[in-house]
Order: sequence, then structure tokens, then C-alpha cells
Amino acid sequence: MRKTLILFSRIRAWFTEGRANREFDDELEEHIRLLTERFMSRGMAAMDAADAARRQFGNSALVQQRQREARTFLSPAELWRDACFGARMLRKHPGSTAAVVVALALGIGTNACVFTFVNALLLRPPVGVKSPGELREIWQRNRSASGMSRYTPLTYPDYAYFRDRTKSFTGVIAYDGDPEPVLWSRSGRGEVVHGQFVSGNLFSVIGVGTALGRPFYPDDDQPSSPRPLVILSNTFWRQRLNADPNVVGKPITLNGTSFIVLGVAPPRFTGLEVAMAPDFWAPLSMSEQMLHDPGRLTSRFSHFLSVEGRLAPGQTTRSAQAETRVLASDLEKSYPESNKGEDDQIYSAAPVPGPYREYVAAFTGLLMAVFALVLVIACVNAAGLLMVKATGRAREMAIRSALGAARGRLIRQMTVESLLLSLLAGLVSVAFAWWTSRLLLNLVPANLPISLEIPIDWRVLAFTFVVALITGVTFGTTPALRGTRVDPVHVLKNENHADGFNKSRMRAVLMTGEVAVCTVVLFGAALCVRSLLNANSIDPGFDIDHVAIADLDPGSLGYSEKKADAFYRAFSARVQSLPGVVSASYVNHLPLDASREEGGIEKASESKSEDDFLHVDVFRVAPDYFNTMGIPILKGREFSQSDADRRTSAVVVNDTLARKLFPGEDPLGQLIKMPDGKALFQVIGVVKTGKYRTLGEEPVAVMYRNEIPSSRVIVVRTLGDPRPLLESLPRAAQQVDPNMAVTGAQTMRQFMSFPLFSARVTGLLLGAAGVLALILTWIGLFGVVSFAVSQRTREIGVRMALGARRSDVLRLVMRQGLLVTGIGLVVGIGCALAASRLLSSLLYGIRPDDPETIAAVVVGLTAATMLACYIPARRAARVEPTTALRYE
Amino acid sequence: MGEKKPEVLQGTLDLMVLKTLHALGPLHGFGIARRIEQLSENLLELNEGTVYTSLLRLQQQGWIKSSWGASENNRKARFYSITRQGLKQLERETENWERFAGIVGRVLRLERQG
Repeated sequence: MRKTLILFSRIRAWFTEGRANREFDDELEEHIRLLTERFMSRGMAAMDAADAARRQFGNSALVQQRQREARTFLSPAELWRDACFGARMLRKHPGSTAAVVVALALGIGTNACVFTFVNALLLRPPVGVKSPGELREIWQRNRSASGMSRYTPLTYPDYAYFRDRTKSFTGVIAYDGDPEPVLWSRSGRGEVVHGQFVSGNLFSVIGVGTALGRPFYPDDDQPSSPRPLVILSNTFWRQRLNADPNVVGKPITLNGTSFIVLGVAPPRFTGLEVAMAPDFWAPLSMSEQMLHDPGRLTSRFSHFLSVEGRLAPGQTTRSAQAETRVLASDLEKSYPESNKGEDDQIYSAAPVPGPYREYVAAFTGLLMAVFALVLVIACVNAAGLLMVKATGRAREMAIRSALGAARGRLIRQMTVESLLLSLLAGLVSVAFAWWTSRLLLNLVPANLPISLEIPIDWRVLAFTFVVALITGVTFGTTPALRGTRVDPVHVLKNENHADGFNKSRMRAVLMTGEVAVCTVVLFGAALCVRSLLNANSIDPGFDIDHVAIADLDPGSLGYSEKKADAFYRAFSARVQSLPGVVSASYVNHLPLDASREEGGIEKASESKSEDDFLHVDVFRVAPDYFNTMGIPILKGREFSQSDADRRTSAVVVNDTLARKLFPGEDPLGQLIKMPDGKALFQVIGVVKTGKYRTLGEEPVAVMYRNEIPSSRVIVVRTLGDPRPLLESLPRAAQQVDPNMAVTGAQTMRQFMSFPLFSARVTGLLLGAAGVLALILTWIGLFGVVSFAVSQRTREIGVRMALGARRSDVLRLVMRQGLLVTGIGLVVGIGCALAASRLLSSLLYGIRPDDPETIAAVVVGLTAATMLACYIPARRAARVEPTTALRYE
Repeated sequence: MGEKKPEVLQGTLDLMVLKTLHALGPLHGFGIARRIEQLSENLLELNEGTVYTSLLRLQQQGWIKSSWGASENNRKARFYSITRQGLKQLERETENWERFAGIVGRVLRLERQG
């Protein structure tokens, strides 16, 4: 091993150093030859001339040696020597080394942690796929819309058009974005599993095979003759089927249809995007039958397909884009009704779908910016500490320079030491990032079951390495430049190297900057934490402590409306007989969930144009919903069983709607008209306005109707803790109907982690950043003031001997520290106010320039820094003049 | 050989090399040695290898730079030339030297008193 190393370094030296050496030797030889010729031309014999020339030239070997030592700045051998020496120096001062490494590792590590997510969501191509770099996503884009709503998945006819005509792609695949919940009937009992419908060419185009059996071929997916085939996911096969080796060819009943298992996917393949990992894949052509949704493959209006293609050799994103735009305009001409204003947009393939990346990038970018500021603080601290150390090492530097070390050599030595420190910190931060990113992943709410792998792969390592290098250079340069500017004569004569004005000014500037950056981070952190507290205390308008919920979809079993109704009646009767249950009701989807239904309404007595209708959110609820959810009824009554039976067109509205549509009138008994104009609805009750879309929203007008589709959420009110219901609800469903299965049984409090997710993440991360910034700044300030005091011990002694009182000394030291803090605070608040506007969309119930928060940050930071200055100042004030003067 | 020639005073070779390059433009090492020999009218004992150590030092300080070219007799040779920084340094060093030489001169001119 060692021998090969030596051989390797010799070869390299021969290439890099060798050439320069040989050139130099040539130069010297040439000189001697010229001298010899000159002597010979004066009539000397050849031998004598050569001797004379050598004499006149002097010791050439010595010159060559000099040249070798002095030449390159970055010769590997020298660097290695410096690194060894640096490592020895760092080991000699374990305390300060550890302090710098920990500070930097926190700074680098938090950045690496956020980057781990950036990598997992935006950069990493899908796993287990052949040459993922060639895959591109195709999204439909509406030219006239803006923001997220511009982008939609494709319809099946449009997908087929692209697939059959494109020349830019060797294959175009499609899959149904979110895996659909499907009932798996297993020995007479239903269990919910998730399936993804994919085009028949998916496996061959992305280059994924199977662990058992065979993948789909295009023939397996013909809309004219759908075949009931499935490919199981490896996890499903292992966990639910005990890795049955003979599973291929066996039947499996899904949503009442018998499927044949065609194969088992390889372990690493879990789909192409961040989503729930599917338990199985089925051909797209089966989806109409399985989802009881005829026409979804022929409709030009049903956008549900994520489409990706593999670029043909020699094609680029741009050329593919040009071609698909032409195809899209063909479609637009042929089908103006459905495709008007639609073209498409191509993205590289990554776990987060193209159009969403901008938002993920903005959010993670914000976090990275905040943590970059924390890193800046850590850098300033490290630089400060190194500068202190450099002052202590002035003697060492002076001796080295007196012995002939060039300044460049000293700078290199110091820089190598800083780089060693930062690379060490980089190593620690990789471990830190691994640990914290896994902690963060636990924040993802349970009802957002996404399959996200967050590996520390080469991208994360490269990022961390580069950040560590930049960090090392940043914090190492100033101390290196200043530390090596020593005048050996003065230092070695032991003249008082009292801190020059320049040096302390430099430190003051650094500290001011540190306090300013800390103010920015702390202000952002305080805003986000207060926003999180606000969000937690926002009243969503319903009870979150005594309610349990679960999702049901008898439609997926192919039940008719009548059969589903019968099931629901029996089920709620059963649930109401469970111990501790007060009442139970149904709603089509919960407020603050991802689904939404909107509509326009007007008073029956008016006839405005449709644009002037009042836009309302619509919820469909069963009798006793408001009582069960704990939503206060302000006027009138809620739906009763008789309303449900008679299907009278009764509606309940919230008071926001009542105020908007019937200002100054009694809303009860009023009639409401929908845009279709025929049916009239009578208001029978008014309930209190809650939160429906987001916790931070302005009051939204809401109308509750009592026709409710068969896919529902059951809400159950309990007397005490709703948690026991999480077990008994699924059991009750199967007792009523063995084929039925409920999904997502959870308490309302658990459900609330979904709307609170973004506030929690920002609150937690920025809060952590703020605490980190504060601690680092405090330590930095404390260290620098302590050092300044220790440097001035003698001066303080003189002052006290001349009659300064302890309080004068205290004031002297404090004044310097507080001046630094004060300037830093003023600059920091200015920057913070400018920067906090970026946060405004993430904040709940607090303005980005909230004066209370500013005041709190100013007071808090001032108090902290005063303490950091006071401790060393008090030590200074205790200095005994006699000791101080006798010192040295 | 007769009387011993004076050696180059410590620290003055750099100055001489710098001045030579300033006065004559780009030169190779051999040319520099010849010039100094010529100007000293063969009275100076110059170890010509030291010219190269001097060139190395000056190059490291960034006061001169070098490039490859062809010598008069068309052989490959490294040519050295003075840089802008070198010019400034030359000015400073010249001033220092003149002051120093002046002081030494004045001291040596002292008459024996009383």
C-alpha cells in the first residue's frame, strides 16, 4: 500500500515538478556552456575553460536546491507537510479546536440538512430507473392562466396523441398521479391498498424490470380490451404476502374485480415521484372499470395523467419542447373546445413534479438563506477565535519568519490549518445532517403518507464539502493575513505587542456584523415562532379535542347509491352504540383538508350575470354534523333526518355568507339560487364562520348542503378521549360489511397537523436557527470581549493605579461592547425589516414588521450582549493594579 | 592572479539585477551576469550562480517575471523582465542605497580632529 503510494506520488511529481526542475537545470547548464565557450574563444583549452566556467558560476547544486524549495506554492508534498503540522497544532489545543469545529459544524450541518431535502425533492432523479437523466416530464400549460393553476396533468386522448406522434422521445409514458385507494378483498374481508394506473409501456421505457414474473408490455394496456393484470410492489409482496414465491399467476381481488398477478417489482422501485408508494401497478385501461368512472380515458376534460418521456438520442429539452408545442397547437386547432389556449411545458424528471418545484425551491431557498446567515455567524466566531490564537502565535510566526520563511509560506500554513478545521467540521456536519434530516422527516403529518427517501448521496457530500471549503477560506483568510504580518524584530525583542488600533478595529467590525446578522435571524425566528403560536391558537371553528374521523368509500366496491346509503345508516347506528360516542355524522370532505368544492349563488329574487354571483365554498353534510363537529349554530336549526329523507332543498349557511348575501335581513327562510337557475334552496340555519381553506384565511362564505356523495368522512363526537375509536371504527365498519374498509382513522387533533404543517416547519426551523444564532453570537461576543480585556490588563492596572475606580473600568469595557452591539442592532433591524417581507406569506396573524417583535428582539439581544460584556468587564474591574503592573 | 577582487556586498546583488533589467529590458541570466561584469569593469568577484538565486528571490516577490524566448544565437532561453511592482521597489531601494552610501561617504570623509 505504502509502496504504491510512493510510486504514485513519484509519478505525479515527475509530471508536475519534474518539468520545472528540468527547465531550471537546463537554464543553468546553458549558462555554464556559454561561459565555457567564452573562455575558449579567448584561447583557453577546452578542459581549462570548463573548469574556469564552473569556478565562475559557483555552486550550482546549491542554487538548484534553493530553486526547488522556493518554487511552487502548492506542491503536494509541501501541502502534506503543512497539513501534518497543522493537525499537530490543532491537537495541541483541543479546546479551541473543538469550539471552532462545533460552531462551524452547526453552521454547515444545518445547511447540509436543508440541502438533503432540496436534493431529495428537486435534484435526485427517480430511483431504480435506467438513465433517469434522459427522462422529461410533460405538463399541459394554459397560456392565459397564471401561477400554479396554469399547469395541469394531461388527458388520456392528449397523451395518446403525443405518444403516437412525437419524434423527440423514444417512448412516452403516463401514470395516474396519486395512487388511488382500492379495496383488496382478502378471505372475505376488505383492506385498503393503493394502486397506481400506468401505461403499458411504462416499465420498458423507464427500464425497470421485475423481481418475479414479467413487467407490463404495451399489449397489456389496450383501452379496447382491458386486461386485469397487476404488478405488485416489492414491499407489498414481502409484508402482506410473506414474499410468496409462487405469487405470479395467482388471482387477487381488487375493488371487486379479480386480477392476475403478473409480476413483482424490484425492491428499489417505488414510482416516479414523491407520493404515497403504490402497493401495486395496474394498466391504465383498467382504471375506468376499477374506479367506476367510465369515460375517464376518452374525455378531453379529465386531466389526471402525469406524462414523462425518454429523450431520443441527440434530442434536447429545447428541441423536444419545440416539437411538443407544435403537437399541442395541432390539438388546439382540432379541439378548440377543450384545448383552447393550451400548450405544454417540459421539465427534467425529479421527485417533485415540475410545476411545483418553484414553490419547493422558494421555501427551501428561504430556509437555506436563513441557515447561511447562521453559518456567517459561525464563520465570524471562528475567525475571531483564530485571530485571538494568531495573536498568541505571533512569537511562533516571528521566529519562523526570522528563520527565513517567506510570508506566503506562513499564510499557506495558516490557511491549511483553517481548511483542516473546516473540513473536520464538514465531516461532523454530514453526521449532523443525517440525524436532523431524519428528525425533520418525522414532522411530515401522518395523513400525508409520502414516500420520500433522504439519502446522503454524492450531491449532499459534494455540497457539504464545497460549503466547508468556502467556509474555511472565508474565516481563515483574515486571521492568516493579519497573523502573519509580524515584525520579527519587535516581537522577538519582547516589546509589548499591545493590540494595534487596526486589529481591534477589525474585530469590532466583525462583531458589529455578527450582531447585525444575528438580529436578522433572530427577528425572522421570532416572527415564525409567534406565527406558529398564533396558528396553534387559531380557532378553526370546530372542536378538535373530542372528534375522531375516518374516510369511507363504498363506491369503490361498486355499490349503488342505495346500497351505500344503507351501509352508512347501519354504520352510524353501529358507531353510535360504541362506548363513549355522543354522536356521529358524515361530510364529503373536512374543512382545512386538501379537497374543495366551490360554487356561485345569488338571492332567488335577483338575476345577476354569473360573474356577479357570490362565490362560496360548498360542504355536503349529513344530519347532526354541526353538533358533532362542535360548530355553534347561531340561528335556526341544522339538518335533521327528515330533511335528508325528504330531500327538501334546505341549506345551512355560515354567518359570513348571511352577512354578504342578506345584509340587514333575517337570513332564515331566505331563498338562494344556483347558476343553473332551477333549484331553489331555503336557508334553515346559520352557523358560526370557521376556517375552511387555510388557518390564515379571511372569512370565507360557506354553504352546507345535505346531498352527500358516497365517498365520505365520518366524524364522531366522543365524551372523552377519542383515541380508542381509532381501533373500534375500522372494526365496526367490517362488522357492518366485511368487504368494507375505512382509511385514515385519526383524531381531529392528529388531522390538524396537516393544516399546521407549514407553520410548524417554519416555526421549528427558524426557531432553531434563531436559538443557534443567539448562542453563537453570545459566545463570540463573550470571547472577543474577554480577550480584549486580557490584552488590556496592564492598561487597566495603570488606570487603576492612577485613580480609576472599579466602576470606571466597568464602564470602559462595557462601553466598547455596547457600542458594537448598538451599531449592529440598528443595522440588523434595518436589514431584518427589509428581509422579513419575504416571510409574509408564511406568517399567521402577525405582520412582518410587527413592532412588538422588533422591541422584543432589541431588548432580548441587548440583554444578552450586555451579559456577554458584563462578565469579562467585572473580571477586569477586579484586576489588582499591583498584580497587573508586575505582570510580564 | 594578483590582488583579490572585492566580493558583492550582501544584499546588493538583487538591487543590481533589478537595475540591470530596468535599464536594459528583458535579459536572460547569462546576459545579466555579463552586464554586471562589464559595468564593474571586471573588478567584482561575482559568483554567477548567485545571479540565479537572486532572480528566484525577485521572482518570488513578484518584482520580476520570466518568459521563454530565443537567445541571440537562437537557443531557447528564459528571459526576465521587471514588473510594475519591481519598478517601485527599485525606486525605494535606490533611494535607500543612496542614503546609505551618502552616510558611509560622509563618515569616511571625516577629518582627523585635534
